[in-house]
Amino acid sequence: MIRNILFYIKEAFLSTKKNGIISLATIVCLTATLIIVGIFLIISLHINNFIANLESDLIAVAYLKDDLTQEEIGKLVQNTSSLEGVREVVYISKEEALQKLKEDLTEHEEILAGLPENPLPSSLEITVFEAGFLDEVSFQVNQFKGIEEVNYGGQLTKNLLIIFDFIRKTGLGIILILLFVSILIMFAVIKISVHSRQQEIEIMALVGATSWFIRWPFIIEGFLKGLLSSLISFFIIYKAYKFYLTQVKSLIPFISVNLEPDFILRIGITLLFLGVFIGIFGSMLSLRKISYEEL
Amino acid sequence: MFHVFKAFPNKINALWDVSIHIKKGEFVFLVGPTGAGKTTFLKLIYRGILPSKGQVIVDGVNLSRLKPSYVPFLRREIGVVFQDFKLLYNRSVFENVAFSLRVIGVKNAIIKKEVNEILNIIGLSHKKKTNPHLLSGGEQQKLCIARAVVSRPLILLTDEPTGNLDPETSWEIMKLLFKINIWGTTVIMASHDKLIVDKSQKRVIRLEQGKLVSDTMKGIYYKQ
Repeated sequence: MIRNILFYIKEAFLSTKKNGIISLATIVCLTATLIIVGIFLIISLHINNFIANLESDLIAVAYLKDDLTQEEIGKLVQNTSSLEGVREVVYISKEEALQKLKEDLTEHEEILAGLPENPLPSSLEITVFEAGFLDEVSFQVNQFKGIEEVNYGGQLTKNLLIIFDFIRKTGLGIILILLFVSILIMFAVIKISVHSRQQEIEIMALVGATSWFIRWPFIIEGFLKGLLSSLISFFIIYKAYKFYLTQVKSLIPFISVNLEPDFILRIGITLLFLGVFIGIFGSMLSLRKISYEEL
Repeated sequence: MFHVFKAFPNKINALWDVSIHIKKGEFVFLVGPTGAGKTTFLKLIYRGILPSKGQVIVDGVNLSRLKPSYVPFLRREIGVVFQDFKLLYNRSVFENVAFSLRVIGVKNAIIKKEVNEILNIIGLSHKKKTNPHLLSGGEQQKLCIARAVVSRPLILLTDEPTGNLDPETSWEIMKLLFKINIWGTTVIMASHDKLIVDKSQKRVIRLEQGKLVSDTMKGIYYKQ
């Protein structure tokens, strides 16, 4: 078994060396494809992250009229909570609102000091499950007695989500096309490799090598090319991403971008898997049938 | 072979109703003009092709019923030598012979022993590290024979092995083939070398336009 594996690996290297320029071209093509895939993955993960943050801010604020009794407020909270799509309703009294404002404006307390009385209304903070519920919930709450006004950043949030969804879908489409193309490239290259070793394959088939024995060196050749391409592309993406991060961070210090080991590792594993898959699958396609006929 | 017919898209009667029995250990010449069906005959035996009609039975196995996955195991019992050598010119003489053992998973130590032994027999052991394209035509043909018989097959098929060689070298090759035959290997040799066939005094099967026209023990090239 080990003897056979050594033979396969040796033959795979021999073949890669024999078709040097083509091998190099394949690795360059595959690496470029994987880099593009990697960039889209990074963008897509960032968008996901951003959307998750946006969605956690899916809040509408309903301002209450000043003259409501505790009972009426309780009823409003209850009615709002029972609407479809509402996750949570929090009542914020006039005092709490002022307290919050004071905390936000600690460095400019003089603005508040001049106020004769608390001008802030009490309010309900309504969190919905999805951006899609914002419109309807706001409309419904606005109908309730005792509500002064309902505010939410609805349209902007919704538009952003639509744009990001479009980018994600386009990215996925481009990735699928690129994967298809790279499998075709690998298919063609292994075909060339098989063709250039036709004599060897004929002799192997003639002296009684099994079809899998003939296939393995080519599959390993595809595997090695895929592996090498994914390692190179990951290295380039890693370096470029790190560079980009330091640049962005120095320009916009408060932006939330992350280079957690886990995140970049996930990209790495995905690229590795893709590279190896393309390599092996492309080779298998071009070796579907080893013919014992017409030798 | 029983009532074997073989048709190709461009040739209807490559073989036409050929029935013949070759015994184990025989030495048989297959003669006839170009296009008579000699190569088709050999291809049928190592299952390079299947008959259009009829049965080919090798060592008790009906090749029409042999599953493709068993073909490699049939091939291990059959050595084939081509007129155009089919050598690997990016490997040494030793590696060319060893290659046919490597691909059937023989251990390195045994490969070394067997290859050296066969190279000694054919007289190429002093050139085992040489690249085949530096060898003469006769030496290359010997190398092909070595590769075909190193796994000790039951049958050796040779297609015009003396086709491109001078008479002296041709006879050397013949002596080698006789030697292999004496070891017990059945040898089937396609040839249109009249001198060699007449001199050898072996069984001669003659094909013409795909048909078996004569089968003579200790025969000569032309019909008697």
